[in-house]
Amino acid sequence: MAFENSRPAAYRSVPLTWSARLSKNSHYLFVVPMLIFMLLTTGYPIFANFQMSLYDLNVATFRSGDAPFVGLNNYLELLRDPAFVYSVQLSLAFTSVSIALQFTLGFALALFFNRPFPGNGLMRSLLLLAWLLPSVVGGTIFRWMLDGDYGVFNYFLRGIGLMQDTRYWLLDPNTALAGTIMANAWVGIPFNMILLLAGLQSISPTYYEAANIDGASMFQRFAYITLPMMRPVALGVLLLSFIYTFKVFDLIYVMTAGGPVNVTTVLPIFTYRLTFSFFRFGDGAAAAVLLLLGLLLLAIGYARLIRFEEAA
Amino acid sequence: MNAQSITRNPYIKTVIGTLLLLVYLFPVYWMIATSLKSRTDIFATPPTLFPIPPDFGSYAREVVNNPELVEVIINSVIISFGTMLLTLVLAVPGAYALARLKLRGAGVILLVMLISQLLPSIVIAGPLFIIFSRVGLLNTHLGLIVADTTFTLPFSVIILRPFFLAVPHELEAAAKVDGCTQLGVLWRIVLPYVRPGLITVGAFAFLIAWGEFVFALTLNTNHNQPVTVALNKFIGQYGTQWNDMMAVSTVVALPIIAVFASLQRFIVSGLTSGAVKE
Repeated sequence: MAFENSRPAAYRSVPLTWSARLSKNSHYLFVVPMLIFMLLTTGYPIFANFQMSLYDLNVATFRSGDAPFVGLNNYLELLRDPAFVYSVQLSLAFTSVSIALQFTLGFALALFFNRPFPGNGLMRSLLLLAWLLPSVVGGTIFRWMLDGDYGVFNYFLRGIGLMQDTRYWLLDPNTALAGTIMANAWVGIPFNMILLLAGLQSISPTYYEAANIDGASMFQRFAYITLPMMRPVALGVLLLSFIYTFKVFDLIYVMTAGGPVNVTTVLPIFTYRLTFSFFRFGDGAAAAVLLLLGLLLLAIGYARLIRFEEAA
Repeated sequence: MNAQSITRNPYIKTVIGTLLLLVYLFPVYWMIATSLKSRTDIFATPPTLFPIPPDFGSYAREVVNNPELVEVIINSVIISFGTMLLTLVLAVPGAYALARLKLRGAGVILLVMLISQLLPSIVIAGPLFIIFSRVGLLNTHLGLIVADTTFTLPFSVIILRPFFLAVPHELEAAAKVDGCTQLGVLWRIVLPYVRPGLITVGAFAFLIAWGEFVFALTLNTNHNQPVTVALNKFIGQYGTQWNDMMAVSTVVALPIIAVFASLQRFIVSGLTSGAVKE
């Protein structure tokens, strides 16, 4: 930056030679491959979703290539479909309970790891291991632990006297969603913890020193320094968690595949089924667009929040 | 004992931390322990906490003598390294230009990248299926490499950019005075300087591609499937043979654990720099 600005003004007014102009524009060659890739593999698919969502596209019309234009009909049908509405409700329940669990536990762990103690760094990174494991592996482990007959979770609950009978967690419509939430919260805790910890460590210690001089209690320091100072970071983490959790597909698919009787068919699984199981491409695209629009709004909110932080 | 003395003795926190860690990582332990049990042991009540003596039958049956699993592991290796390579080739010049060269629209590109990495894969999977079926990329390694890169590329650009921003301008200026081209500056001067960033991004691209499931499930339905889809199939096939399933899970998790163990400081720093501040 300093180098470019230090040129004398007169130098800049000299018309650029052909080769200089080429080298100036050649800067764009650095981003062009990346942009073309994103345009073809993300931009076009998003556009294609919008387009397909306006046609009555199914197996027959896809083969013959003469799918009739139906306008917003696919959307209207979806909004009237109780299965769609139910999947949105499930998604909201899955997401809100999951992030409530992982945020609270992640925050508690972040507070615990905020002060140095022997082994702190190692333990912190070991926690992250669970977050990095493929969801398919995490899902398989929880399937086994939540197994009704030989699962270790039932054994544990009986051991501490919380339960006497046998519970088939993932086969029982009353508990299947809770089972997937448990697994998802387990995966998300270290992610929340690491981000919140980074926030905690950016709070200047001088605030706490001043509070100590004034004789503030531990609770007062938490309530009047930590919480207000953490608000922007916490909001960012919650938004990000919401987006990540709302789009969870693999973990649930591996654990229950959306069952039993659709009680875990969240919106991403519902969308998948329309397109890849029922081959209702038009309806699937409409559901994808709705899912996309919802998350896009949140993503833009998150992007603005991050910029705001940078400017501050 | 009051709250003050707990926080003053650091070793008390070490003990509490170790206990928390043991509870939290129990599922990972349980996976490994179950994989080392015999068929009768997994159905024991109460469950045996330690698999002593360990039984390697599951590994012999389902890993070593299972050509199908060996094949999907090879697929995953190809796809993960391919994704890592494609991601680096596209992300490095892109992130460098966004950080250092004056481009009109750099802010917009950055915003698009930030939002792209938050999109649900399932939304892109449907149209990709149709595009890939037209150009013959369904059921191929290359197809999945391309699909996985739609996520790893924006993610990597966002993580890499701050690394490029931190390169001293004087370094680049000196190289230019000595007659280096812009590409030469990037290759000879800047890249060695941002090596930690490259390792972070490479490791993440590998980890993400290794664990990817949605694209693999939808785009490679017949051939060249990676380990994640194979593991999901095993669940259906093996029913209640949990020791076999946990052995396969452990094998799928092993590269992740290995990469994490050797590169954890890069991964932890990348995660925080990528998500909280970009």
